[in-house]
Amino acid sequence: MTTVKADPVPAALAEPAPARRRGTPYRLASSSWTVPVMVFLGFFFVIPLGANLWRSVATGDALVHGPFAFYAKLLGDAYYAGILAETLKVGVIATLASLVVGYPVAYFMVRYAGRWNGLIVFLLIAPLLTSIIMRTFGWRVLLARKGPVTLLLHDWGLIARPTNLADDPIAVYVALVHVLVPFMVLSIVAVLQQVDVRLEESSRVLGAGPLATFFRITLPLSLDGVATGCILVFVVTNGSFLTMLLLGGGKVTTLSLLIYQQFNVAQDTGFAAAMGNLLLFMALICLALQARFLRREGVKA
Amino acid sequence: MTSAVPLKLAEISKSFGSLQALKPLTLAIGGGEMLALLGPSGCGKTTTLRIIAGFEAPDTGQVLIGGEDVTDLAPNRRGLGMVFQNYSLFPHMSVAENVAYGLKMRRVPAAERRVRVRRMLDLVRLGQYEDRQIHQLSGGQQQRVALARSLVTNPSVLLLDEPLGALDKNLRERMQFELREIQRRLGITSIIVTHDQEEALTMSDRVAVMAEGRIVQVGAPTEVYERPRTRFVSEFLGTANIFAGTVADRAGPEDWAVTLDLDRAPRSLVRSPEPLAAGRRVLLAVRPERLTIGPPEEDGIPARVQDVVFRGSYFAYELDVPGQDGPVFAYSQARREVPADGRVGLSWPASGAIVLQDAPSSQNSPASQDSPASQDAP
Repeated sequence: MTTVKADPVPAALAEPAPARRRGTPYRLASSSWTVPVMVFLGFFFVIPLGANLWRSVATGDALVHGPFAFYAKLLGDAYYAGILAETLKVGVIATLASLVVGYPVAYFMVRYAGRWNGLIVFLLIAPLLTSIIMRTFGWRVLLARKGPVTLLLHDWGLIARPTNLADDPIAVYVALVHVLVPFMVLSIVAVLQQVDVRLEESSRVLGAGPLATFFRITLPLSLDGVATGCILVFVVTNGSFLTMLLLGGGKVTTLSLLIYQQFNVAQDTGFAAAMGNLLLFMALICLALQARFLRREGVKA
Repeated sequence: MTSAVPLKLAEISKSFGSLQALKPLTLAIGGGEMLALLGPSGCGKTTTLRIIAGFEAPDTGQVLIGGEDVTDLAPNRRGLGMVFQNYSLFPHMSVAENVAYGLKMRRVPAAERRVRVRRMLDLVRLGQYEDRQIHQLSGGQQQRVALARSLVTNPSVLLLDEPLGALDKNLRERMQFELREIQRRLGITSIIVTHDQEEALTMSDRVAVMAEGRIVQVGAPTEVYERPRTRFVSEFLGTANIFAGTVADRAGPEDWAVTLDLDRAPRSLVRSPEPLAAGRRVLLAVRPERLTIGPPEEDGIPARVQDVVFRGSYFAYELDVPGQDGPVFAYSQARREVPADGRVGLSWPASGAIVLQDAPSSQNSPASQDSPASQDAP
């Protein structure tokens, strides 16, 4: 190895190649390596999005009643506005339910699981390996009139008589939470791991009970994870239609289910495109909120 | 400010799985006293502190604060103050909010809270920093906030878990005196856990040296330093040269002549208040600063200087003594003339050597520096 100091050759006489190599850090790839991905995304993401936008303002009714006819119908018509409200309601309820179910799991994993942590992560992720249709049909079986869950609830006296719970709106929420809780748990775990347990101990020594410690220390410091998890669950819920299609007996109709129907049944692609764009817009608002929220509240323990 | 409350640990023990972290341990700390729990990592000192705080429940025994059994009380009902190694300040609160937290939990009215937070921040000389965020403070300032937060509630006992471990050396030394000064002024019973022997000696009224889940020796810092009972204590608190030998005869009222295994002549002295029977095997500890380096021809143990290191306030001599495994260290204020061949003679006054309670290895084999030190007093 030669040292830089010992080099007596003037810079102009020195070989340029090694000098440059010393100056610029070694990089694995140059920016040209991103070209294939850019081309792929251009063809299969940007162009379809643009086409969808165009379809929503320049096909079918939009040609007759002006470019924003679909959007006007979507927001102005009582039926569609109701579905929009229902979509938001399902999203909010599924998100809150996932939070209530997921936070304790995340807390247990971070504070108590120890060497069982790996197993719990596996159990959380394993269901994601099966198709969502399988999981949803599983609930049809469990919640059927003579299904095990229904019979159990009846035995406990929680329901008056065995009914087909799979066609009750509650089934939609149960299945949604089932699918989405891992996202919530893993989002919260990632942040909760950074909250030093000694902060909780400090709070206890200073006279706070377990509940006060949770609400004043643990929860505020893990809000980043809660926000990430909530936005993730909310956006994914807005986009899911299989659960509403297979469970709830058609009583829970959301925007994404409507898109599916408009596209497959009514074949009104322009209207479906408009609804899709509205859904996309909602997701973008969520992401913008998250970016803002995380930047403002970001605290390192 | 606070009335001094004594603390007592009665026969507490704790196991984690198959590991016995604490063997039944009894310790009494007087009101207003500052006691240091000193030991290497894994010796059980932190476990002891966590049991006092209430984070761990002892398997057996009791924790008594002011004569009251608090063993089964939750941490928030014990009325303690605690400073953690990393300060553990709440990052989402300002300095004033951090300090006020304990008062808020005790439902102290807001007006009184403000006054007490102010007074406490003035005490730790952070009066101007009330509205700062935690991440805007330096390490030393964070340490002071942590101290203020733990003291503002007038705790009966203050627990300090390696409180200065994260600070750099100069700041640490300054904070040692500051912390000690505040503790004395408030007269609060305190326990400091540390692995830093200098910190323990500087800050405490008494030092409890721990090893392998038990207390090996408790006493005033000077007593523990000057009269360590075991080889472990002598080597953990400062540096000690350990020599094995056999008692020859009496050399003074409390002094005894010892024949060292490496030497064969009964010229080394040791002071012991208890009589030592002739022929008894003993292990001696001699502090480096008590060793005298003289010319080789005088009545000293022959040695050869290997290295001299300037340590700022003294010179450290590394010596090779034939028959002794490992180097012998001697500290001297003045630089001495060392002959070209490095040959010198070592000696010490009777008061410079201590008889350890460890049993030395069998005769004829010189005590080796790396033979396992037995920590159990006979």
